[in-house]
This record gives sequence, structure tokens and C-alpha cells, in this order.
Amino acid sequence: MIPIYNWANMGTLLPITIIAGMCGCSNDTFNLSQNEASLPEDVGHHETTRLAATGFIRNGENHLQLASSTFPRQGEHALTVFAASSLQNVLPKIVKIWTEAGGIPVRVSFDATSRLAGQISRGMPADVVIAADEHWMWWLGNKGKLNPKLIGTLATNQLAFVAPLGFPSPPQRAEDIHSKNLSRIVIADENVPAGRYAKATLEAANLWGALEDQIVRGGSVRGALEWVSRGEADGGFVYQTDAMAEEKVKIAFVFPPEESIRIVYTGAAILGSQRFHEAAMFLKFLESPVAQAVFTRAGFGAPEATTYGPDDTMITKEEFVPDPWSAIQLSLVVALGAMILGLIPAIAVGWTLARYQFFGKSFISMLFMTPLVMPPVVTGFLLLDVLGRQSFLGRTLDALGLPVPFTILGAMIAALVVGFPLYVMAIRGAFEMADRRFEEVSWTLGVSRTWTFWRISLPLALPGIVAGAVLTFARALGEFGATIVLAGNLEGETRTIALAVYSLLESPSGQGATWMLVSASVAISLIALLGFESLSRWQRKRLES
Amino acid sequence: MEAKQGSINVYASLLRDVFELNVSWNPTSNKVAITGPSGSGKSSLLRVLAGLEPAAQGVVQIQGETWLDTEGGVFVPPWERKIGWVPQDSLLFPHLSIQENLAYAGASPLEITKVSELLHFSVLLERRPRFLSGGERQRVALGRALLSRPKLLLLDEPFSALDRALRLEVASVVCDYVQEHQTPMVVVSHDESDARLLANQSWVLVAGRITSEAGQQGLL
Repeated sequence: MIPIYNWANMGTLLPITIIAGMCGCSNDTFNLSQNEASLPEDVGHHETTRLAATGFIRNGENHLQLASSTFPRQGEHALTVFAASSLQNVLPKIVKIWTEAGGIPVRVSFDATSRLAGQISRGMPADVVIAADEHWMWWLGNKGKLNPKLIGTLATNQLAFVAPLGFPSPPQRAEDIHSKNLSRIVIADENVPAGRYAKATLEAANLWGALEDQIVRGGSVRGALEWVSRGEADGGFVYQTDAMAEEKVKIAFVFPPEESIRIVYTGAAILGSQRFHEAAMFLKFLESPVAQAVFTRAGFGAPEATTYGPDDTMITKEEFVPDPWSAIQLSLVVALGAMILGLIPAIAVGWTLARYQFFGKSFISMLFMTPLVMPPVVTGFLLLDVLGRQSFLGRTLDALGLPVPFTILGAMIAALVVGFPLYVMAIRGAFEMADRRFEEVSWTLGVSRTWTFWRISLPLALPGIVAGAVLTFARALGEFGATIVLAGNLEGETRTIALAVYSLLESPSGQGATWMLVSASVAISLIALLGFESLSRWQRKRLES
Repeated sequence: MEAKQGSINVYASLLRDVFELNVSWNPTSNKVAITGPSGSGKSSLLRVLAGLEPAAQGVVQIQGETWLDTEGGVFVPPWERKIGWVPQDSLLFPHLSIQENLAYAGASPLEITKVSELLHFSVLLERRPRFLSGGERQRVALGRALLSRPKLLLLDEPFSALDRALRLEVASVVCDYVQEHQTPMVVVSHDESDARLLANQSWVLVAGRITSEAGQQGLL
């Protein structure tokens, strides 16, 4: 069932010929400057062959020329490349060289390899996939999604332990981590390759058990890196290349290759792609010295033979199916928490905006509305700035035992802030709907402003307030962007329905769980909106006179 | 009860309107009616008296008490003025039953029973305002104002939804109350006959100012 690929050949030339019809030279040539990509001196016959395969030839001055006629450009259709997130710093540079040399345009979608694999297995139309984890490549090949003739290794990477820039005396070796009493060590989720690598490496070093309590999962590698750079975590395991590109962290140590699990990047053409030739070209180009030079500069290691195949460190499908019940329960708790936390502030703001005129009112009102239109991820980012350990407020909350990032409280706050505009709008509307003169009658009857609020204004607006709460609850159930930034994606802690569905996209086998979550989500949302509708009706009826 | 004498002196401006009103009363003429064409500022005058127009500038004095003196920095909030304000459209609290509306200012069940019998709405006590007719609501609003034991009663077109027979009856209840408690009352109406029915001095308001005395022709 599993095709046996010819991996022995991977380092050299793929057993295909796609350069037929390529002309040796053309006026439309691409010259790479010497320091950018001059060929190594020892490029032998073998390399020349490889270059020829990529469409590069060598001219008299040892410069690369790319024969433009090599690449079919009719229609200017683009090559769709799915690439591992950790290539974000390097692949665009290579693509730039490629297109400047006359290659067809390339669109790159970056995501965790596991998620890309899930998307491809679902039939997402891509032409090339570049994975940070060869086992996912194996998994895709096993599913018959890859062109077996076009799979090759492109680069390697290493796992690094990073600490925040100003962190005093970070551990120098893996064995020292435990003795340093670090409060939090962040790794990527175990269902993305970087997280899997980190766990496997720590397990191999017999350190996982000792560190497990300090480990938190920061979602993607980028997420993990962000936590460290912000000082939310005292350290973390990320790819060496990502760590090198981030100025706000320092690399404490890199796992020596013999202690680390191998991290191999593989590229493959996807079966069924309409742009088979271009895909092959692009893959060959990635292996070319030009592209390899860019990889090397970014800190990647040279490609090495892969052990392509399943192994016991690969998370099996059962392990990365999030528990749907836990997600549903958590969603309800988070939404309820957001609703309760926001009740009094929303009433206060709604009341103020409904009843008082003051300088800057429209500005304030607009400010409260912004989360409605801002990308929730941006909201989450700003919240992280305000509530993270870097801020005074965040440190104070931390000291009070109420840390916000990475916690269920963070999930509630994220959901609340994003839903707050709806909360305020509903409540403000309810207050405005009630005739102010009811309050005036109450005053003339000798009841003070405060008591009038409790006895008249609040009861009159009650259905609208409850409706606002229900609407916020419903919005909180759907919150995703701000939550994943502020609270991460932690099973049982912050992985709500939306996040669980997102995580399930990585696991094509989680269909059952996905549908369960989707149904629960639709059902709860409909019930909530039904509640909102009938409460709004009650509000109108209550004010009928 | 001690016979009261007093006066209302208003000289106040509100946006573009200027209100000027100086009336005095004694126990036999403590019912002041103010008539005038619509738009003459009758309702606004009552709101200024009740303290519901914080933007009003000037002086309002009732029986020697200063409720508003912008220059002197005096503004007595409405809840300290003890006013029985019956607005034109009644404004019964829609979320409370009639009983609860009447008890709002602290009236005892006994007082409520008495007033509801006098004003003929005993059968409505358990209902919500939205199930009442306009005339029923006006009577309840009147009852609610009387039950708050006001120092000054302000009625804004109080009988507009009542038929002739009820007007007479309700008017006599109000007048009895005013007589018994020596509570001065200001009624505004565009309807001369309502004014005659309730008041023993009557003035005409044009553009915020009292322009003429309509004659003292109180019936009661």
C-alpha cells in the first residue's frame, strides 16, 4: 500500500527529466551577484547536472543564468506552495530569487505542517508542500496525496532553548533547566512538529517528567517564541532558525545533533496538481546551491537523508483529537464567565452613554465599539500588551495570583472584550428605549436619583440587559482570534469549541469530534439567539404603555 | 390645619424661552390655572417648577423657599422639592402594577384604598398600566401624585381623556384634597373649562409670560 520511495537518490537528482526543450542561453538572463549566490568552488559534475535540472546553467563568468524559456508562463498562473511556518523567514527570499529569475509566480501559505497536511488530505488545491516534519510527509504519501517521484529533503533544523533577552543566567544545558526553577517553559503544541520535537527530545534526555509541570503550550512555534520574547515564559523550545530571527530572545543553548531528534524539511509535489512541471522545477530550485545558500544563511542545516516513515514519536491520530466534551464544557464556562465579568461594566458604560452628555462622548463610544470591527487577533495582541507580564498591570495581577495570559481567566477576558461592544449596545439601547420621564416622575415623587436608577431605570431595562448578556454569551462562544493570542490553545484550560475545531483541522481523522463540536456550536448559538430575540420582544412589551 | 398663604415667583430662562410668573394665593385662592395656546410654554413652566429642567436659569421661589437661584448657586433637586407632578400622558411606571405605582412614594395600603375608591379605580389595582384606558391612567396618575403628599401640585392637562361626568367628580376630589391639605396647585390646560373647573384664579400665558388675568371665577 505504501509506495517505497527511492530515498537513496534524494540528495542528488530526482529521476525525472523536465528540462526538455530548455534552451541553453537567452538574452533574457538573470545574473546573481557574486556574494549572493556564487557557486561553490567544488561544484562538480554532479552539481552541474543538478543545476541543469533546475534550469540554471553556468555561463563563462561563473554566473548563473536562468533560461527564461524553461518556465511555462502562459496565463501567468501561480504555483501554490504550502509551507511550514518555520520557513517564513527564508522561503520568501528564495521565492523572490526564483521569480526574478523568471520562474512563475508562487503563492505561499504558511502554517503548521500538521495543519497543512490536514488541509491537503481534505483536497485543498496546492501544488507543492514543504513540511517541517518528515513523518507528516510520510502520512500524506501514505494517503496517496503526493507524487512519489517528487519528494526530497531540503534542509534540517535544530531545537534551541531560548530565554527572554534580559533573563539572568539562563540554563546552559538541558540538564540545568530543572535546577533553574523557571516559572514557565513554553513549547509549541504537541500536534505541531516543533512541539512534538521538543517533547520527544526532552523525553529522550529523560527530562520530560521533571519539567512537565512547568511546560505550557503556546500554539505554534511563533506563538511560543512570542511568549518568550514578551517574558510571559522564562524559556522555551523553538527552532534554532526562528530563535535567530527573533531579536528579543537569546539562544541559551542548542541541542547537539546527537541528543536531538532529527528535524528534516522535506518538499513534495502534490498528486493531481495541474502544474506538475512547475512544481518539479520549484522543488529542484530549492535544492539548488542558490536556494541552499539562503537556507544556510538563515541558520538551516544542509539536507540529509531522511528516515521517512512512521516512528513512535509521531503523535497518533487518537492523541491529537481534542476531547469535544471538555471543549464544550469549557466554552460554556468561559462564555458564562465573560458574561458575568462584563455585566456591571457594561451596565455602567451603557447607562453613562445613554443618559449623560459629556465632552468626548462620541470618542468614548467609538472606543468601546472598536473591538467589534478590529480583527480579534489585534485585540488579543493589545490585551497581551496590557495584561502580560511586561506591563505593570500584568505583573500586579500575577502577584495577586491572577495571571491572565495562558489561563482560563485570559480566555474569559478575551471573549469579554471582543463581545463588550454588543453588551454595551444592547444595554444602552434598552436604557434609551425607556422614556426618561419615568425617571423624572420618580424624582418628583421624592425618590432620589440613585434609588430611581434601582427602582425604575434598571427594572425597565432589565430585559434588554439580559438580552445583551445572552448576546455576549453567544459571541463569547464563537471567540477565537483574541483567545488564541491571549490565552493560547491549552486542552482543558483555554481550548474552547472554536479552538478545538481549529486544532481538529490538523487531524483529518477527527471528523466525528469535529461534527460533534460543530453541532454543539450551532445548537448553542441558535438557542442563545432565540433567547436574545424573545428577550428583546419582552423588552419592547415591557415599555408598552 | 394652618391656613397657608404664599406665592410663586418665577423668573427663569430656558433656551430661548423666558418664563415670568408671579402669583400669590391665600387659602381661598390657592388653585392657579394657567391657560394659553399650545406652544406657549405651559408644560415647560411646570417642568421648571418641578426642577426637571436643570438648564433653566434664573429664580424660582415658592412660599418663600428658593428652589432655584442661579446667581446664588441654589438648585434644589426635584426629589427634594416634594411635588405632585401629573404629566399630560400620565407616565405610570409600566413595570409596576397600579397598586405598586400608587405605593411608589410610600403610601400605606389604607391610603391607597381610599384614593382608589375616591377616584374610581379600585378594580384596577392589580393590573398593569398597559391594560388601562387613557382616562383610567389619568386618574391613577392623579392618585399617585396626591398620595405622595406634595407641597405643590402640578397638573398638566389632567382631564384631557376624561368624559364630562368624570371630570366633575375628579375635579371635586382634587379640590377637596387641596382644601383639606392646604396644598397650592397649578393646573395648566389649553381648555378654559378645565381651568374654570379646578381653579380659583386663572392666568393666560403667552410665549412664557403671564399676560392677563383671566378673572377669578373658581367654581369651588
